Amino acid sequence: MINSILRFGLIFILLILLQVLLLNNIQFSGYINPYVYVLFILLLPVEIPSWLLLLLSFATGLIMDFFSGSPGMHSSATVVAGFVRPYILRGVSPRDGYDPGSDPSMLTYGFRWFLTYTLLIVLVHHTALFYLEVFRFTDFFRTMLRVLLSSLFSITFIIFIEFYRRGK
Amino acid sequence: MRNLLNFLARNNNLIIFLILEGIAFYLLTTGNNYHNTRVVNGIRGLTRGIQEKINNTRTYLNLREINEILAAENVALRNSIGRLVKRENLLFFSVSDSIFQQQYLHTSAEVINNSINRQKNFFTLNKGERQAVKVDMAVTSGNSVAGVIVGCSENYSVAMSLLNLDFKLSARIKSNGYLGSLNWDGRDYHHAILSEIPQHVSVIVGDTIETTGYSAIFPEGVMVGTISDFEKIGGDFYKITISLATDFKKLHFVGVIGNLKKTEQLELEKLFQ
Repeated sequence: MINSILRFGLIFILLILLQVLLLNNIQFSGYINPYVYVLFILLLPVEIPSWLLLLLSFATGLIMDFFSGSPGMHSSATVVAGFVRPYILRGVSPRDGYDPGSDPSMLTYGFRWFLTYTLLIVLVHHTALFYLEVFRFTDFFRTMLRVLLSSLFSITFIIFIEFYRRGK
Repeated sequence: MRNLLNFLARNNNLIIFLILEGIAFYLLTTGNNYHNTRVVNGIRGLTRGIQEKINNTRTYLNLREINEILAAENVALRNSIGRLVKRENLLFFSVSDSIFQQQYLHTSAEVINNSINRQKNFFTLNKGERQAVKVDMAVTSGNSVAGVIVGCSENYSVAMSLLNLDFKLSARIKSNGYLGSLNWDGRDYHHAILSEIPQHVSVIVGDTIETTGYSAIFPEGVMVGTISDFEKIGGDFYKITISLATDFKKLHFVGVIGNLKKTEQLELEKLFQ
């Protein structure tokens, strides 16, 4: 128990630092802003009670908001992601179900499963985030393009991180 | 009652979700206001240390370029001092002076945090109320428009960048004086849109766009950019794309301009509205 709290604390800090110090400073163009901190919400254990999942998602978003000076924007997107996660997990569950006490990571359930899972949650999160950022529906399709391009980059980064973790 | 409790117990997820989402939306709608200094004082205080470290590194990497810009600016300033001394032999004049009627007060500041990749971009300056920076002052980079101060703490201030969907500026075509309204369309950080220019006006690619000074924030004649493209859209107006003179990616040393007569102008105008 203590062990896993420490492990997730470490993952959390590393991801936030990666996002704030590196990725927030990469400014490709107005279209591509990868947000990999979602990986934290992805990796929490399968059997985590959903109230805790929601609270942790909210905390993640709130910290991102502190660093980007955008109160409420990241938090509302991460809470949406935390809310849909159980439904998505149920939807993509592997044939034999989930092993008790496991993390939904690439190490445990393989590349293809993890890609589908990541794709769905990252899309939900980014859609919420980018539409909340502009807060209007004019230029609807341009915002959608930003969602798709940024999701592509976030997912690539997340897969890279997972490969790195597996390699270790 | 029992049914209600059962319902709550069954849907506790949904309820927590709605509560958290409610808090987030409350923050989102109250915290992002145009003139909200809570963002500056509360939230930025926590992360300022880290931002300054990032900025120090970035400054170090750009030193050569910054030196060149500063040297060029020094030359230009020295030239204008030379002209002033020759003509009037009066270099210092004070604000309360009734003869010279100085209207604009200039100071400089350093950008310590900046973004260009959001739809609502802001940047932070290292000067605040103690250094006489106030809300609604204009921010320029070189001699071109960069943003407007929207919040101040004691030693820091936050400016809304021109690259912000909420930013509006009254600007005109320098060659013929027709004025329109300038805003950013959120696409890329090199371009902005000038609208409300009627179609009978002759518009030429490469024309200079400058501020009008009507808003009492920017002085008249501050460079905005040059026309890079224009098209006729429905109605009688042009949609003019402007290539911005300021490179927001390199924003570092900026000038802050305060209008000493702004209150007077606004109060007078208020009488007739």
